[in-house]
Amino acid sequence: MKKSLSSFIKIPSTLWNKKWLGVVLVLGLSSCEQLLKEEPKFIVAENFFNTAAEVEAATNAIYSPLRSTNYAVYETSLECQADYAYGRGSWAPLHEHQGLNDANISRVAGLWNAFYLSIRNANLVIQNAPKGKAISPADINKYVGEAKFLRAFNYFQLVRNWAGVPLRTEENMTQIDLRRSSVEEVYTLIQADLKEAETNLPDKPANVGRPSKWAAKTLLADVYLTLGKYTEARDKADEVIKSGKFSLVPIASKADFQTKVYGPELVSTTEEIFYLKYTRQVDQGNYMLWITNHPSTNLFNFGGAYVVYGQTTEPLYKGWNDADIRKSLWEKVNIGLGANTVISSKFADQKAISQTGAGNDDPVYAYADVLLIYAEAATRVNNAPTAQALEALNQVRRRGYGKTPTAVSSVDFVLADYNASTFVDAVIQERAYEFLYLGKRWLDLKRIGKVKEAIKAAKNVNVADKHLLWPVPTSELNFNKAMDPVKDQNPGY
Amino acid sequence: MQKNGRTKAFLLKAMRMTVTQLAMLILFCGLASARDTKAQEVLNTTISLKIEAVEIKRVFSTIEKQAGVKFVYSPNAIRADQKVSLATTNKLSEVLKELLQPLQISYEVVGSRILLRKKMPEKAALSDEISTPVPNATVPSDQVVKGTVVDNEKGEPLPGVSVLLKGTQRGATTNPNGEFSLSVPNGDAVLVFSFVGYEPQELVVGNRTQINIKLKVDTKALEEVVVVGYGVVKKSDLTGSVAQVKSKELNSFPTANVLQALSGRAAGVQVTQNTGAPGGGVSVRIRGTNSIQGSNEPLYVVDGFPTTGSNPTILNNVDIESIEILKDASATAIYGSRGANGVVLITTKRGKSGKTKVDFETSFTSQTLIRKLDLMNANEYATFYNKQAANDNLAPYFTQAQLDGFGQGFDWQNLVFQKAPMKTTSLNISGGNDKTQFSVSGSFFGQDGIIKGSDYKRYSLRTNLTHKVSDKFSVNLSTTLSRLKTDRRDSEGGSRGNSMISAAISAPPTLMPYNDDGSYRVLAIAYPFVATDLINPLNFINEQTNRIKANRVLANAALIYNPIPEITVRISGGIENADDRTDNYTTRNYINSLGRASVSTTQQTSLLNENTISYNKTFGQGHNISAVAGVTYQDFVTTTLSASGTGFLSDIIETGGLGSAITPGIPESGYSKSVLLSYLGRVNYNLKDKYLITASIRRDGSSRYSEGNKWGYFPSGAVAWRVSSEEFMKTIPFVSDLKLRASWGLTGSQAISPYATLNQLSSFRTVFDDALFTTFSPGTRLPGNLKWETTEQKDIGVDVGILNNRVLLTADYYIKNTRDLLNTVVLPSSLGFTSTIQNIGEVQNKGFEFGIDSRLFTGAFKWDVNANISFNRNKVVKLYGGGDILTGNVNVVVINDVTSILREGQPIGQFWGYVEDGYTEKGAIKFKDLDGNGTITQTDKTYIGDPNPNFIYGFNSTMSYKNFDLSLFIQGVQGNDLFNVSSIVNTMDYGFGLNMPREVLYNHWTPSTPNAKYPIISRNTTTRVSNRFIEDGSYLRLRTIQLAYNLPLEKWGIKWVRSAQVYGSGQNLLTFTNYSWWDPEVNSRGGSNSTIQGIDHNSYPTAKSVTAGLRVSF
Repeated sequence: MKKSLSSFIKIPSTLWNKKWLGVVLVLGLSSCEQLLKEEPKFIVAENFFNTAAEVEAATNAIYSPLRSTNYAVYETSLECQADYAYGRGSWAPLHEHQGLNDANISRVAGLWNAFYLSIRNANLVIQNAPKGKAISPADINKYVGEAKFLRAFNYFQLVRNWAGVPLRTEENMTQIDLRRSSVEEVYTLIQADLKEAETNLPDKPANVGRPSKWAAKTLLADVYLTLGKYTEARDKADEVIKSGKFSLVPIASKADFQTKVYGPELVSTTEEIFYLKYTRQVDQGNYMLWITNHPSTNLFNFGGAYVVYGQTTEPLYKGWNDADIRKSLWEKVNIGLGANTVISSKFADQKAISQTGAGNDDPVYAYADVLLIYAEAATRVNNAPTAQALEALNQVRRRGYGKTPTAVSSVDFVLADYNASTFVDAVIQERAYEFLYLGKRWLDLKRIGKVKEAIKAAKNVNVADKHLLWPVPTSELNFNKAMDPVKDQNPGY
Repeated sequence: MQKNGRTKAFLLKAMRMTVTQLAMLILFCGLASARDTKAQEVLNTTISLKIEAVEIKRVFSTIEKQAGVKFVYSPNAIRADQKVSLATTNKLSEVLKELLQPLQISYEVVGSRILLRKKMPEKAALSDEISTPVPNATVPSDQVVKGTVVDNEKGEPLPGVSVLLKGTQRGATTNPNGEFSLSVPNGDAVLVFSFVGYEPQELVVGNRTQINIKLKVDTKALEEVVVVGYGVVKKSDLTGSVAQVKSKELNSFPTANVLQALSGRAAGVQVTQNTGAPGGGVSVRIRGTNSIQGSNEPLYVVDGFPTTGSNPTILNNVDIESIEILKDASATAIYGSRGANGVVLITTKRGKSGKTKVDFETSFTSQTLIRKLDLMNANEYATFYNKQAANDNLAPYFTQAQLDGFGQGFDWQNLVFQKAPMKTTSLNISGGNDKTQFSVSGSFFGQDGIIKGSDYKRYSLRTNLTHKVSDKFSVNLSTTLSRLKTDRRDSEGGSRGNSMISAAISAPPTLMPYNDDGSYRVLAIAYPFVATDLINPLNFINEQTNRIKANRVLANAALIYNPIPEITVRISGGIENADDRTDNYTTRNYINSLGRASVSTTQQTSLLNENTISYNKTFGQGHNISAVAGVTYQDFVTTTLSASGTGFLSDIIETGGLGSAITPGIPESGYSKSVLLSYLGRVNYNLKDKYLITASIRRDGSSRYSEGNKWGYFPSGAVAWRVSSEEFMKTIPFVSDLKLRASWGLTGSQAISPYATLNQLSSFRTVFDDALFTTFSPGTRLPGNLKWETTEQKDIGVDVGILNNRVLLTADYYIKNTRDLLNTVVLPSSLGFTSTIQNIGEVQNKGFEFGIDSRLFTGAFKWDVNANISFNRNKVVKLYGGGDILTGNVNVVVINDVTSILREGQPIGQFWGYVEDGYTEKGAIKFKDLDGNGTITQTDKTYIGDPNPNFIYGFNSTMSYKNFDLSLFIQGVQGNDLFNVSSIVNTMDYGFGLNMPREVLYNHWTPSTPNAKYPIISRNTTTRVSNRFIEDGSYLRLRTIQLAYNLPLEKWGIKWVRSAQVYGSGQNLLTFTNYSWWDPEVNSRGGSNSTIQGIDHNSYPTAKSVTAGLRVSF
């Protein structure tokens, strides 16, 4: 470029040469294609994925679509559908259970996009890492394992809320038109990915927040439980328990929950298995606090939208023992909807730096989950509660009541009181107490086939069939020509 | 008007005429006396001379400056280098007598021209003066031709006309009676008659011995030139559609952005102020909207430099000599890939040789909110919310005692809006001599906003310099340095009072802004029912700063070489540089804030090199060719840097120490570069001033497009027929000018940003442990192979001049088809990439434009009127897969939906929504079930409005009498719809304590008023994007009215001041509209790329203002 510019500038000295214009034209033409070549100061995909550091940066990008505000919105959307909770304002149709309206359809469409964006980034790693020029086979396995864990994680969310979905893998990631796969096909991929992840992921990852092989086993246990593969679920959960690497954090008060279990300043805890990590940085914090908090609570220094709340008149709240410290995390707050309103104080950060700048991690899979998966799966396999299953359940319960998790206590369930069915019910109930506000209840109710029963009991509402699945976004149906906009839409939409 | 006899004669004649003719006569009755009056006026001008042995041509130019006249003479007849001495102050007539008599020169005043002739010695019937190249006596006489030369218009004999035997040195000049005599070899001889100020004529002698000839006044000499791309042309030679706006119009009222001054001035140009904020952006659409993806703003070329950015903010209005707007493809194709949206050429003021001239202008303006919204007072507010509580089965919010005590309450509009000053000052010094001309100016524009804390200031220094190095070389430099500084309070949009504008109208009038202890009241917790979003506007006004400082440089230098007079070679180099720095700070006192600071800088540099060669020659019998060819290179480099921090121990730091932030933000930087390489050529051919042909081509190569698609060709062609030059038109003296034009051409649009075709990876961050980690991933837009958008435009037009061009009419019809339209193609979202861009889609714009320019009266009372009107229709012809594009998302809590649709066969940006159908028996809004399926779903949406106007117009009137000038300018838009997003929340979102227009209280549904304007006041009221929010955006506005008084300096005997004018003016004093909100001139989403027009979403409102000013020239 410089060369040709200077040739332009020389023109005055060659003016008397009548051919000057021709000279300029020739100079211009010969160098113009070079002038028009773009030389950006950023990386293009074609030159990437060569070193371990590059592949790691690409792997990190799989987390971004989940971690942004999306996962908090996802959990809240699920929570508004739970039997014990209500959605406020535009989220209200979720608890009315008659199918999603426009506002919620577009909201869950955003979640679909986020899961698939995360899947695309995983596929890029799975496809490109093995071709890297300066990366060791061990590193390739590690990052591909991480990508497959996250791809399975995303598909697990998709399949449970939308049923069968287009199955995008590294093989077909650029194919615009792709048919909707069956639920079985999706689960087949999830299991295959997780088995590979379980093998290739490290025992202790380099950073807290990346999945370990134990995270893969936990997720696999949850998948098996969902599929009714109770033996496999029990065994995977048992492997995690037996590893001895995890334990519940003992607590003595509500404040302990808010600081030692869900606290904003924790880097990690002994019960962390797979969390989405947040920190007090601009747009790198947990959005859940803003979504759930009410400005009057003083739990969060940036107000809040209080979109999900409970009522003290609901069966779950009424039946909840006051001695359970976890109950106190439902706080009575007058948000203008009457004196019986309760909202969660599980997450608190008074030193957040913005609406999206709270430090609390999102405990997607904690040790309590492993214990309760084990308790349920073992009971179902045995067709009766086992001592080990009882111990698993009791550990969670004891901690909830402020007791030492591993020591026998006055609040323990007693084996003799339960058969398989009532014990599973108790486990499911314990999951509700333990995972309040984490978006697990609705999926649990769907999994055990008790959605309609539970909602009817709590709210006296008949759940419409269409409410059981979220609609496939029109942004998919309109532009994916391998899907039929009518036949491939979920029922009722 | 003075000459009653003449007027009477006219009226007598008129009685015998038809009604139409009579009407015309009355309209132009000032005509008759015009010329004589003018001549008399000119001759009465006082001239002051004190010269000692100065060349007479210099004396002429001095007089030209003082009296505003032009001397016209033949250098053959009058020796311009003879020296004279004179010291006098007298009327021009006396001065001329004193000056010219001794030199044997006579004069005649024609308009403002003074024609000079050599006085003939009484005896010499035939001339053998020095002016005759070769005395006829020495020529062998074969055949003697005699004759008379007279003026075409008046029939008066013309003395001093040169009569030359073509191809020889033989010739003669006419005597005082216009007679000549010349011997010619034979009948084939051709005589060439020429005289300055007249068109030359040629004639074959044949066997005639007596030739009487009429010379036609060269009207072109009077006409202005028009700047076109890479050159200038005489207005009469234009083949394309070009509009011109002069400095006087641009300067008639102060504006922060020169584009605001263009509004209503030219047909086919729609100028919309996006917001009333000081220095706020302006959208300009020339002949409609072409592009869906790319910019729809025209290209702005300042003194030949194609600038970047959508608004040329570097200049103050006073710096501008003229603005030309190139509209049709014949005019814009020379700008190739950037010409599709039209081209706006801005020419700054240049110096002229002669006495140094000093111009000083200053003005002071006071601005106020154009009108206040009629909102509820405290008592009404409390009453209103008690009604809501009652309708929602809640206990009343306010007791009767409270209601009684509230009264008017607090007026939040008065808190936010203020009376604000605007000041302009400029000083321009210009002048020069034959070799060097200069113009230097410094100017200041300072506007305080009508929202407290907002302002816009521009300091500008400009130099234009032209120097003649030698006969063949000259150089030319123009530079402008500007400093922009603006404090913005542009928290717009939003809902429920979470932006400043929204808060200003939503805040409860029952509450004061301060608590008793002087702290800001937190409105969101003042009442339990108040929206949590509602923020006390003092937070925005006092606790947030957004300051932009910008340094702008535009410098362009050219070397011009004329190896022979016909050829001009121009080599130029230029730099445009913009350094912007934005400082944002939110104090710790702002609600929910720990102190937030950010600084961002942008540096944009564009280098330009243009090399052109132009050729201009007249051949043989009236063939004129002018041509230009060139090679240009322009690059555009943008670098950005930004940093931020959150959490400060003290507000003193502001943006002065980001490092002290508790949580430093992540610094960001960016770089982009694009290159445009072009070859251009244009030929104009003019046959006898009757037939005009223009052809041009530009070949552009842009780095932004994919390999293989980088180059584009943009040809154009135009023909014009100057019918009035034809013989048969000579019999219709009523029509002084008639030209038919037709043009065709292709232009392009650089609708994509650099690197859009590359598979770019973007870097962000994620968290592990408690720390940040880097991520790299592609965006959600799949890069594709892209090429130019191409616009094909056809235009036919006619220019008519009537009554010696006293009335000029211009009419144009055009069709613009834009193809290969870059369109966002949506991908299945499961792909991870949600969209890609493809060259698909077509848009059409077509329309009529009319302009009229007339000098109704030219006597002592002068009245000029010009007006324009334009009609544009656009439609989307083709979209990807025939699918609709829904756009314009609006999210205001009660509605989260799209507002607009792009659909084949429909105008761009039609509003799209539900149609209301009255109320239910409970007062809720009913919507029409258009698809008849029993429920209201998206398939019940339809077209509910069109933001494209039926027509736009401007009307300008300038009158002057004695020392007074009165001008008024009216501008308007008709038939466009506005989507009043502001009103969604503030008239429909009940139950959150927001204040509302008074009519919501007095005109809502109750069982006894089932047809009220608003539904039942209940927080359960649901609303949708519906025709309720569509309003007629038509308006007619008295944009400015100005009365100026020219100080009678002569009378006062002040010699050192050339002219002085004081004036008072008012802007936006009257607006006729049915629009319910602040002002119909609003365009909240009016960015350069936007196809979403006509949205009003809590925009900074417009001001009306009054100005007092002074213009002095020394």
